[in-house]
Amino acid sequence: MNSQRINILLIDDEIEFISTLAERLELRGYASTIASDGESGISLVAKKSFDVAILDLMMPGLNGLDTLRQIKTIDTSLPVILLTGHGSTKDGMEGMRMGAFDFLMKPLDINELLEKIKLAIKEPAKE
Amino acid sequence: MQMKNSNDKAGFLGGVTASVTHELQNVLAIIKETSGLMEDFLLMNQAGGMPDLDERLGKCLETIKKQSYRGVTLTSRLNGFAHTSDSPQSTINIFETLQKMISITDRLFKQKGIDVSIIPCDTPYSIITDAILFQMIAFSCIECLIDAFQANTAIILAIQSSESQAAIQLLCNNRDLNHMDYRQKIIQTHHWEKINALCEQLGLKADISTDIPALLIFFK
Repeated sequence: MNSQRINILLIDDEIEFISTLAERLELRGYASTIASDGESGISLVAKKSFDVAILDLMMPGLNGLDTLRQIKTIDTSLPVILLTGHGSTKDGMEGMRMGAFDFLMKPLDINELLEKIKLAIKEPAKE
Repeated sequence: MQMKNSNDKAGFLGGVTASVTHELQNVLAIIKETSGLMEDFLLMNQAGGMPDLDERLGKCLETIKKQSYRGVTLTSRLNGFAHTSDSPQSTINIFETLQKMISITDRLFKQKGIDVSIIPCDTPYSIITDAILFQMIAFSCIECLIDAFQANTAIILAIQSSESQAAIQLLCNNRDLNHMDYRQKIIQTHHWEKINALCEQLGLKADISTDIPALLIFFK
């Protein structure tokens, strides 16, 4: 469970989900910060530097795609991995057109997420 | 008309089902991550020992238990909602039907920043009607108020009655508007026409309140 201290921002209104995921990432050597809504996530991106953001698409208030748009105006190079609970890939594909690195379906496979994170921090972000 | 009704009903049922199953995906995602975390703890314990293993596993089990209850509540609501389409006409308790409709569509409206609630009603008003179309009217009224008065608001449902008539009142908390303004805003939404058409089919009458931004659905 060793890796560099990569800074990951997790944005999702399902607190129990992101706090558990954050703990699992911490156990694997990553540094995690959580935000429970789009606004807090954007404000964290404006204040701190992250290596990758994991963002849920379906949130009350500012939704995932609007949050992604604003994050990209603050930090165009931040790779964003989207999470979707929808059975279809439509919103994920839309997010990728808007500059997201990739998307994953909930429930997650932690190994798949770790692979995406590794790929995301290697590749320069799409603009 | 029958074909349009079927399409509208399918759209309504599909929208509500999608919202609930999306929430169920979240429940399952939490259970999956939490059980994964328990696995991580056990592996760490095998590798070198974890002094607080019992406490950590206990917390994880609590989370799984809580989420299981949440999942059961969601599937029970969804099942109850699905069964409202069992027969084209049935006797429904108005308050209970509205309350169930609100509980199952709660997440849909919360996504838009809207809180929808209903004031308890002591009188058990019942009508014989098409339960799905009836819920579609209430749902369309809520959407109409959201579109007319924008997000960041609350919508309150109440059943009001006098000797001669009874109505469902759907009230928006934006009280700053005058009657002409809010009447215009409501009529301009595409929902208003649909609400009237649905009400006509069920023998109900839709109106706009004259004193506060509210829609009224008269059922008596």
